[in-house]
Amino acid sequence: MASHITITRRNALQLFAGSAALPFMKVGAAAAADQALTAAVTGYTVVNTFDPGQATQISENYIIWGVFNSLLKFNAKMEIVPDLAENFKVVDPTTLEFKLRRNVKFHDGNEMTADDVKFTLERLMDEKFASPNRAKLASIEAVNIIDPYTVSIVTKTPFAPLLAYLTNTRTGTQIVSRKAVEALGADFAAKPVGTGAYKIKEWQSGIGAELEAFDDYFGGAPKVKRISVPLIAEDASGMTALLAGQVHLTATVPFADVASLEQRNDVTVYKQSGMNTRYVSLNTRKAPFDDPAFRRALSMAFDRDAIVKAVVFGEGVPTAGLLPPTLTAPGTQELPALATYDPERARAELAKSKYGVGTEGTVLILGNWMRRIGELFVAQVNQTLGLKLKPEVMDGNALFARLRSGDFDAALWGWTGLIDQDEYLGDILGKDASRNYQGYHNEQFQSLIEKGRTELDFAKRQEIYQQAEAVMLEDMPVIPCFCSNIQNLSVKNLEGFEQFPYGNYGDQFANLELR
Amino acid sequence: MLARIILERATRFVFLALLGGAAVFFAMHAVPGDPALTALGESANAQTIAEFRSKWNLDEPLPVQFALWIGNVVRGDFGQSISIASGTNISTLLLARLPNTIFIGLYSVAIAVVISLVIGTIAAVRRGKPADTAATAIAAVGISMPDFWIGYLLILAFSIGLGWFPAFGFTPPGVSILGALHSGFLPAFAIAAPMAALFARNLRSSLVDIANRDHVLVARSFGFGETFIFVHNIFRNALIPYITVIGLQVRYLLGGTVVIERIFGVPGIGALMVDGAFGRDYPVVQACALVFLFIVLCVNELVDIVCNRLNPRTR
Repeated sequence: MASHITITRRNALQLFAGSAALPFMKVGAAAAADQALTAAVTGYTVVNTFDPGQATQISENYIIWGVFNSLLKFNAKMEIVPDLAENFKVVDPTTLEFKLRRNVKFHDGNEMTADDVKFTLERLMDEKFASPNRAKLASIEAVNIIDPYTVSIVTKTPFAPLLAYLTNTRTGTQIVSRKAVEALGADFAAKPVGTGAYKIKEWQSGIGAELEAFDDYFGGAPKVKRISVPLIAEDASGMTALLAGQVHLTATVPFADVASLEQRNDVTVYKQSGMNTRYVSLNTRKAPFDDPAFRRALSMAFDRDAIVKAVVFGEGVPTAGLLPPTLTAPGTQELPALATYDPERARAELAKSKYGVGTEGTVLILGNWMRRIGELFVAQVNQTLGLKLKPEVMDGNALFARLRSGDFDAALWGWTGLIDQDEYLGDILGKDASRNYQGYHNEQFQSLIEKGRTELDFAKRQEIYQQAEAVMLEDMPVIPCFCSNIQNLSVKNLEGFEQFPYGNYGDQFANLELR
Repeated sequence: MLARIILERATRFVFLALLGGAAVFFAMHAVPGDPALTALGESANAQTIAEFRSKWNLDEPLPVQFALWIGNVVRGDFGQSISIASGTNISTLLLARLPNTIFIGLYSVAIAVVISLVIGTIAAVRRGKPADTAATAIAAVGISMPDFWIGYLLILAFSIGLGWFPAFGFTPPGVSILGALHSGFLPAFAIAAPMAALFARNLRSSLVDIANRDHVLVARSFGFGETFIFVHNIFRNALIPYITVIGLQVRYLLGGTVVIERIFGVPGIGALMVDGAFGRDYPVVQACALVFLFIVLCVNELVDIVCNRLNPRTR
């Protein structure tokens, strides 16, 4: 044993050298005095890229949001406000003009100009670049440089979601430096150059990132000089690390622990209704889910309130459609009969179906916390209607592969962090849309979402989506279940974190301060 | 003679490694899922996915993929991660993480050995007395509790409660040995607890068994002191089954590191393997499994050698 801890001159040096190298691995809490803090990305360990144009994982976006800026951003009220743009105007229904902020520096010292904006958007639209967000910008016809600080974006038709897609969210439109991308090539993914408040100083795959304040940030030098961002696989481990004083802020909180954490006076729980949707996806091409009456019967045969209470411990709300409450028109949150538990009506609806008692089918379920939603759904629907549906539990990758290939009857699924109505209704239920695994198509629904895309008047647009959801409920290609809250946890003396409904993170790093 | 034994063992070693490699490869590819979905995200179109599959040879028939992979592995090239650390050389990932896993593994064996020697010996010497009952009860509890549960209990008591050890994260031994001993204590202890219980039970029963053998009676009739008899005639003989059990436990120990590394945030091979499995990063999982296999085979050989040394009859 003694030989184990013999301190030679060599490892004695290492003892001291090491403690500075990787602060997030350092034992004990980082002291407030040296202006360093630890903000954990919880629930994820995979980060493949920091290139906003290529990012697909939420974990990647959490960090990207602090390293880059977009032309626009959301505020806490979910209003779209300028960020790299100083202001913008609608020239005509298909032309938006952006005046850029002056003297904005990239991390490499170059100034951000209209050329970088044009480069960023055209790169995303380039088929060869194969950005996962390419389809979002398909309506753009041209990006024109008017002068070094003015850009106009021309769309083929009026395109309502465009402003939302140009914010610092999951849509990949964060402005990159043309010079850096061209100089770094594939290395840009690991050594990103943005305009954000923090730069990536060190990155260890599967372990975490070390961020360093960018002193020339256009919003002013951040107060905290270094932020460690460890990747913590389990939400629960993130919470215990924070309670043990090693982490100052987490990206998630286990639903089961929210209530007890709110009782403590040494932590702050941030929570609100999130931008997400959980639903049962039904394969409308296959029996028995090819019959709308059968699908409607299922929707009325289980208790959404009970699921919200049992699975997310009340940290959510049942939803009438796919849109989360933060995106619906006021007054539409009330559940219509088609999305309300009513055994009598459910059985009456089943009587109209060509499938009856004893019908079989398989419901695919994720093996994480969503497992219980699926099991409760299957059990209750079977009990209410006398069906013989079977749950089949698997991990995310396997389930997703089955959904995409159409090899499923029904599956419990959901999306989180989507910011525009069209990403919910259009992408999930539109004709041949990227998330339409149901094989759903209805002319009336389709024309409504196409109208919604081109309607620039906010109130009118909401009315259109309200109608679209009513059409969808009659067809019931997906059974809407609920929308969960989003949560963050911080130590009490951390100030400056503001939570937005889409689950923002790195964009708040610039405002953080330990008191 | 010696050359023949070495050759025989080496042949068996290579054969088992190849067999294990094939088993891991085909098992991994039989699991439904697609690395492209992790790497490219939900809106990747068919063409992008096809390009991805062709880039990583995933469009080749399985036997061809296996031949390509094993051919590179034999040349010491594990390839690159395809979906969880895109483009990173797997050997780089392994080299960074292997010392952490080995450290935690040895640390937990050391803890288990110390605890089991004390508890097992006390229980055997005080057989049937309260000390034995207490030690046996502790061992039963240790065996029955799953390691991740012990892990969370330890965090609750020693990190959140007393603040003695970190709840998450690990200082690699290459950075600081003391830091590694400190930050690695809870994960090592969580893995060690069930092992210690098993070792202690095993040691106790061997000691009791050997104490009743004829040669001990003979030694006693010669008038040797009890302590001398215990050390020379009982304990020494009990060491062989004890060490064999430790060797056998190594594979469970590796299973334990997979779970425990994830809970405590130890950047080791186990955690890498779990991430790889969830992301369907075939080459990463295969490389980790081969490393584990290699460690198990090495430990088996080592146990054989040590037991031969301890047993004069096989010398």
